[in-house]
Amino acid sequence: MFQEKGQLKFEDKWVHMRPIVLKLLKQEPVSPAEWQELFYDVHLVCLWDEKGPGKLRDHLHEDIVQFIKQAQNRVLAQRQEEALLKAYIAEWRKFFTQCNYLPTPFRQLESSLQGKTTSAGTSMQSNNNKKGASDESIVRKLMLDSWNESIFSDIKHRLQESAMKLVHAERNGEAFDSQLVIGVRESYVNLCSNSEDRLEIYRENFEAAYIQSTEMFYRMKAPEHLANNGVLAYMRYADAKLREEEARAQRYLEAGSNGVIQCCVKVLVGNPLSVLLAECAALIKDGETERLQLMFRLLERVPEGVQPMLKELENHITQAGLADMIAAADIITQDSEKYVERLLELFRKFSKLVHDAFSDDPRFLTARDKAFKSVVNDTTVFRLELGTGRSIAGKVVTPESKCPELLANFCDMLLRRTPLSKRLTSEEIESRLRDVLLVLKYVSNKDVFMRYHKAHLTRRLILDASADSEKEEDMVEWLREVGMPADYVNKLARMFQDIKVSEDLNAQFRTSTERHDAINIKILNAGAWARGSERVTVSLPVELEDYIPEVEDFYKKKHSGRKLQWYHHMSNGTITFSTNSGKFDLDVTTFQMAVLFAWNQRTHDKITYENLRLATELPDGELRRTLWSLVAFPKLKRQLLLFCGIASAPKDFDEHTVFWVNQEFALIKNGKTQKRGKVNLVGRLQLSTERSQIEDNQSIVQLRILRTQEAIIKILKMRKRISNAALQTELVDILKNMFLPSKKMIKEQLEWLIENKYMRRDEDDINTFIYMA
Amino acid sequence: MADENENEKMDNENQKPEKMFTLKKWNAVAMWSWDVECDTCAICRVQVMDACLRCQAESKKDSYGKQDCVVVWGECNHSFHYCCMSLWVKQNNRCPLCQQEWSIQRMGK
Repeated sequence: MFQEKGQLKFEDKWVHMRPIVLKLLKQEPVSPAEWQELFYDVHLVCLWDEKGPGKLRDHLHEDIVQFIKQAQNRVLAQRQEEALLKAYIAEWRKFFTQCNYLPTPFRQLESSLQGKTTSAGTSMQSNNNKKGASDESIVRKLMLDSWNESIFSDIKHRLQESAMKLVHAERNGEAFDSQLVIGVRESYVNLCSNSEDRLEIYRENFEAAYIQSTEMFYRMKAPEHLANNGVLAYMRYADAKLREEEARAQRYLEAGSNGVIQCCVKVLVGNPLSVLLAECAALIKDGETERLQLMFRLLERVPEGVQPMLKELENHITQAGLADMIAAADIITQDSEKYVERLLELFRKFSKLVHDAFSDDPRFLTARDKAFKSVVNDTTVFRLELGTGRSIAGKVVTPESKCPELLANFCDMLLRRTPLSKRLTSEEIESRLRDVLLVLKYVSNKDVFMRYHKAHLTRRLILDASADSEKEEDMVEWLREVGMPADYVNKLARMFQDIKVSEDLNAQFRTSTERHDAINIKILNAGAWARGSERVTVSLPVELEDYIPEVEDFYKKKHSGRKLQWYHHMSNGTITFSTNSGKFDLDVTTFQMAVLFAWNQRTHDKITYENLRLATELPDGELRRTLWSLVAFPKLKRQLLLFCGIASAPKDFDEHTVFWVNQEFALIKNGKTQKRGKVNLVGRLQLSTERSQIEDNQSIVQLRILRTQEAIIKILKMRKRISNAALQTELVDILKNMFLPSKKMIKEQLEWLIENKYMRRDEDDINTFIYMA
Repeated sequence: MADENENEKMDNENQKPEKMFTLKKWNAVAMWSWDVECDTCAICRVQVMDACLRCQAESKKDSYGKQDCVVVWGECNHSFHYCCMSLWVKQNNRCPLCQQEWSIQRMGK
């Protein structure tokens, strides 16, 4: 120990050390003394023999290789796959345990070998610490590398093959000891001495082989199964196999890699994708929710799998929806209630399908909504001609769906006192109104709905025909909630306010004079109710005429700066009709009143059309319509007026047609004539004249043009410059709560705005617009 | 009783003809609007029958808010929303249309 350096030779010591090393390798018992001896000898060799560490390492290496060779022979002696794996795993486990023990005595060696590169002393110590910390010893690395080089490289193919054969056998349903495959995997993982990527060897060999054999297996099996059992059974098979492989991968593979599942998905789903998709339409058609669920689950795993399914769903809903509508066209074009209920039934059916089969996946909900939109806005079953009067504009207007009009009609049936609204409870009415709002969401031309809804509301308020005024006002708020334009909703709210104001005013008027309990006045804000609508002249019966100046005087005292215009086509009343046989109360329009009162002076006379015209001063069209309602009122068996000649429509009267009061008039109930009774002859209260109806349609088109111009300028003002595509998108977004602007109209309005110098095209790019202040 | 009444009436008819149709109730409808020469307020470009822009924006908050947005006439007979004009005169006490000195002739009520 105190001998001169160089006197102690490695060779002298190695003879003592070697047997102990060999014993350790073979896992034979080593006494504590021997164990300690080994530490001491390593220390001495490293300390005293300059070349000691190198030699020590070489000899150790040689012995390890030798030992491994023997182990290899023992392993390879096994012919059978399973036995081979068993032997290998046994040898490996033994060896791997030793990898933890053998390096310990050689710590000193590590330091010395390291010391060659670093200086000495303190830095060496810190190096040691680092080594310890990273658990990476040279001897251990030496052992693992040797194992890798000698045994592993030689037999890894056989090992892998055997392991894969076992997995294959398991796939075919044979039981075996899964520990064998797991053992092989562990040896792959632990073999790796690369501290950067511990899974390197495992991934390049074991996992690669696993993926390859999996792919081979399903490449064979999948098409076979598909061919033999059909698509539906195959989907179940694929789904089951995918789950199975996921579970298997968890058992046999390291966590964190998804390679094998991706490969399975590719082979099981990706390859036969088109065959699977071909089945999709039929499944949707038959409402096979369970199978669709399965298909969705499978196809969701491949990148282009879901898109075609969405397309199929959209097509199906659109086609089935339209087919349904067309099949029921006869009923639903006549009956708004049936139409809306039919639509809702379709919506519910398809929403349920999306819910059951696709768990309300947002992508499928979007496809459903798209399809609903096209059903609702389709024009094949019924179309609304926004007749601008082709002769005037000279343009063919694209027809629009009648849906918004029917929705508004349905709302009216719910809100007015009708058999329907009487039959339903308040909750049922509310839920149906909510349904209307739901459908309205899909309607692109909401402005049409708004127009009809407002017209119906006007009639209900003027005739005092609302079923439930609270519900009326709720509806206004709901329309606000679903995003109807504020100026429109405000006008509706204003109408309710006006009615209340009018009630107060009427009460005051009645107390101001004593004899006026026969009159009821409604004085309304022209801006909210009837902008621009044309009035009809009529010569009122004296009984009515007398009231006018009094009301006007009264109103002037209440307000200043206002002018009044009488809307006699909207006003109405009740008159008593006395005949020889009875007495009847008739609800009539003011026009009907004007016509009937003409007979008050000459009860039994026959009066010509021409003379009635002179008496009432009604315009030709109005007089014809009014007379028609008195000679051919649909609900009456005995009409109020009779006439000579044949007429099947108002236009068939000529100026010489004579009319007289039917003195035999009576109401007939259950086949018996009634001497008394009340009948309503108002029908659908007229809000505008024929001419102004065309104007109404034109005004919708005109309003759309203005709104479009307005929106374009609004966008340009904000953006200063904008591309055509971006402009179109923003435009649709701004206008979507009113209507869907057509490409053609947008283009026309852009041209108009450019011509009138509100904006210009960019000189370099004609598809970019620039705002001009 | 009823029959007697009717007999009476028939008798009456023969003597002096009673009216065949008599009025029981009349629901008369009229529309009011400001008695103005120009429908549009020149200041806010909104029709005078509607509330001015500011009032519309405010009335959104309380949906049934009283839209007491009345009209005002100047001596020059030009008319505007009262709200609009009262802001205008703070800047310039002339009628925006004819440049005459602004003085109120009457207010709408």
